[in-house]
Amino acid sequence: MSKQQKPELQVRRFSKGFVWAHAINAISFLALYITALPMYTEWFDWLYVVLGGPEMARLLHRIFAVTFILPTFIWLIFDPKGFKLWLKELITWKKRDIQFFAEFTKELFGFKSKHVKQTFFNAGEKINSILQILTAIIILGSGFPMWFPDLFPSAVVQWAYLFHNIGFGLAAAVVVGHIYLSVIHKNSRPGFTGVVTGKVPARWAKEHYAEWYEEEVKKGNFPDLDDPKQNKKKGA
Amino acid sequence: MAAEYVKYVDVTKCDGCRACMVACKNWNDLPAEPQDFLGTMQSHANVSADTWNVLTFVEHENSKGGLDYLFRHSSCYHCSDAACEKVCPENAISYTEFGTVVIDQDTCVGCGYCVQNCPFDVISLKEYKDKNGKEYRKAHKCTMCTDRLEEGLQPACVTTCHTGAMEFGGKDAMIEKAEERVKEIKDRYPNAMVYNPEGVGGTHTIYVLAERPSVYGMPENPKVPTSAVLWKDYAQPIGKMMIGATTMAVVGAFISNKLFNKEGNGTHEDGGESDE
Repeated sequence: MSKQQKPELQVRRFSKGFVWAHAINAISFLALYITALPMYTEWFDWLYVVLGGPEMARLLHRIFAVTFILPTFIWLIFDPKGFKLWLKELITWKKRDIQFFAEFTKELFGFKSKHVKQTFFNAGEKINSILQILTAIIILGSGFPMWFPDLFPSAVVQWAYLFHNIGFGLAAAVVVGHIYLSVIHKNSRPGFTGVVTGKVPARWAKEHYAEWYEEEVKKGNFPDLDDPKQNKKKGA
Repeated sequence: MAAEYVKYVDVTKCDGCRACMVACKNWNDLPAEPQDFLGTMQSHANVSADTWNVLTFVEHENSKGGLDYLFRHSSCYHCSDAACEKVCPENAISYTEFGTVVIDQDTCVGCGYCVQNCPFDVISLKEYKDKNGKEYRKAHKCTMCTDRLEEGLQPACVTTCHTGAMEFGGKDAMIEKAEERVKEIKDRYPNAMVYNPEGVGGTHTIYVLAERPSVYGMPENPKVPTSAVLWKDYAQPIGKMMIGATTMAVVGAFISNKLFNKEGNGTHEDGGESDE
């Protein structure tokens, strides 16, 4: 009766709005990546055949460019609170965020590490967000003149090619890390199920985002896992 | 190895007959592009996908207050350092053994990067429709009749020129000839000069101009756009390296986890499965 052992205790981490926004963003990014790849390197010229020719690749790239922009608004409209929290956290940097990276590096390569107290987003996620925002601005800002070259002086279009390329390289590099950490790296894998279902295991949430978890406990939203009643062993 | 060749254009000898335009259309099987009257003798505003050379007509007030009517054969310059070749993502643009710059119509995907980066604005996209009604595009420009050069012939425009304003020959000989010619006409045209811009490594169409290039609507100091150099020589290779580096990092992390973290030590999460 007092033990909730069999189905693991889950808590809500992400709103529906965020889950949808994130999914559309992820799918669009991947589709944009694939439709651009044959232009980026000749190794992938065979993708033109798969995509139905260069014209179709270009058309798809433009369609997904639009769906790539949508998630920001979906999140903002359906979950303005979460959106605001995100922005607030992105500009809040403390000493623990620096400590996080030292521990994170150890954890990444599978060595012993300890958890540094983090708020809703950890420092790594904040870096990821910041880089993605910056690269999205670079990519979208440069993509527009590339799409409509007739509306811009040719110098603007020429520089747009460069920035689209830089933005793409940065974004792809960041995404490789982002996807690895969520889908493959075992310690953070619950984060991936979390971003799909919106829910994560309570214990995992508490260990990874202690400060956020404790705040939610105070608000009465989440169960207090240290409560003797919620009896489950805790590592040191 | 064939030597590099240059098309020499002495605009001071051009009489604006436009036979070069006709010869070009004829040899390259390009359709006519009827135009509305543009207000001058000039037939087309600029070269296009189906009009690879245009004779430009400029009314210019010279330094003595007199009127000069300036004619110029304009087409692709065939740069030694061609921006179009640099930015083409499919390597569809290449240099030939003659020094000309050509676009392979089979590999061209019609992206238009070359169109946007050409410092001389001489490349255009041609719209095609295949038999299923699907539209596609290819980049077009003057080829310097490379197909003729391969057969030992000269470009069609050159062979048709009846005033001797155009000549085709070895690079050094043509440059020398241009310099000699400028000396001859300096009295009449004090601003006369050879146009063989260094910013694009020199060109394979060189001009003897009577006035400054800008008078003819030509760029004074054309060069491969700085953005194109940064893009193709730095951003792209570094980007590929970065994507490679992060990929290697995660692969390294994956292997390292397998090697050092067999028992799942280190942290205690992951759905409670790995507690020590």
